[in-house]
Amino acid sequence: MKDIMRAKCLISAEIESLINQQIRKEAQSSAIYLAMASWCDRNGFDNSAAYFFKQSDEERHHQLKFFKYILDMGGTSVSPDITGLKIEYNSFREIFEDALDQEISVTQSIKSIAARCHKEQDYVTLEFLNWFFKEQREEEYKARRAIELFEIIGEQGTGHWEIDKHIGKIQYDSEA
Amino acid sequence: MQVIETIDSQVKLQEVFSTKSGSVSQCDRENCWYIDFAGKVSRFDYRCLLLLKKAVYNIDIEALLLKNAKSADIEIVFICASDHFYVLSTLEIIALKELLQGTFTMLELNHIIQDRLYRLAV
Repeated sequence: MKDIMRAKCLISAEIESLINQQIRKEAQSSAIYLAMASWCDRNGFDNSAAYFFKQSDEERHHQLKFFKYILDMGGTSVSPDITGLKIEYNSFREIFEDALDQEISVTQSIKSIAARCHKEQDYVTLEFLNWFFKEQREEEYKARRAIELFEIIGEQGTGHWEIDKHIGKIQYDSEA
Repeated sequence: MQVIETIDSQVKLQEVFSTKSGSVSQCDRENCWYIDFAGKVSRFDYRCLLLLKKAVYNIDIEALLLKNAKSADIEIVFICASDHFYVLSTLEIIALKELLQGTFTMLELNHIIQDRLYRLAV
């Protein structure tokens, strides 16, 4: 009997479902970063707003990468609906703590897709995920560095202004 | 898997899975499946079979069983861009779900056999 399912689609239904969940997660991250950009802009943190606008674009780019991968492999990508976004934050610092949490949760969820790939011996998807792992190294690094600015500069006096000035300068250029 | 003959003797079908209430057969030549269920035989291609699976799996059978409303015990399983739809009672939905679960398990098994035996051997 012919293996029609395999001929039509390279990835399994489980992997497709996990990547669709990841698409939702990336879309949610993009929307959250946009909400953070809005808060920063409203409160006068221009550089941070620009930083989050850029992060939002990057997450959207990740979302599309996953989206197109499923389609290229013969599966069905699902465009997610995003609701229940937090739009108000208690402090400038809380935003960056939430951003780091968001990145850690994204890394964790990509790791769980990779674990499933290992189980199914889906090395094709695993190879595709490698790009995201490298990207997550950068994302988490940037989010951690941002929080460290609060500790190094301090929040007293013109601290927030100084932190905002340095947010845009955070860069990850490791060759490792 | 047993080879069965269809109405059209030119087309050879192979039974994938069957239960008391129906059966699913695969046609290698047409790359499709024939589902014999609820008194009719319907042809499903790859996309439509997956849509049918999704539609049936998404029905909350527990909620149907617990429903106290006086409305008829009937669900319409409609598949977008397909020629077929089913009007089924709760018991038939359970039977169709069982048939599809068995079918997808057998297709998965066929995939494993193809991967481990034939694709490696050739």
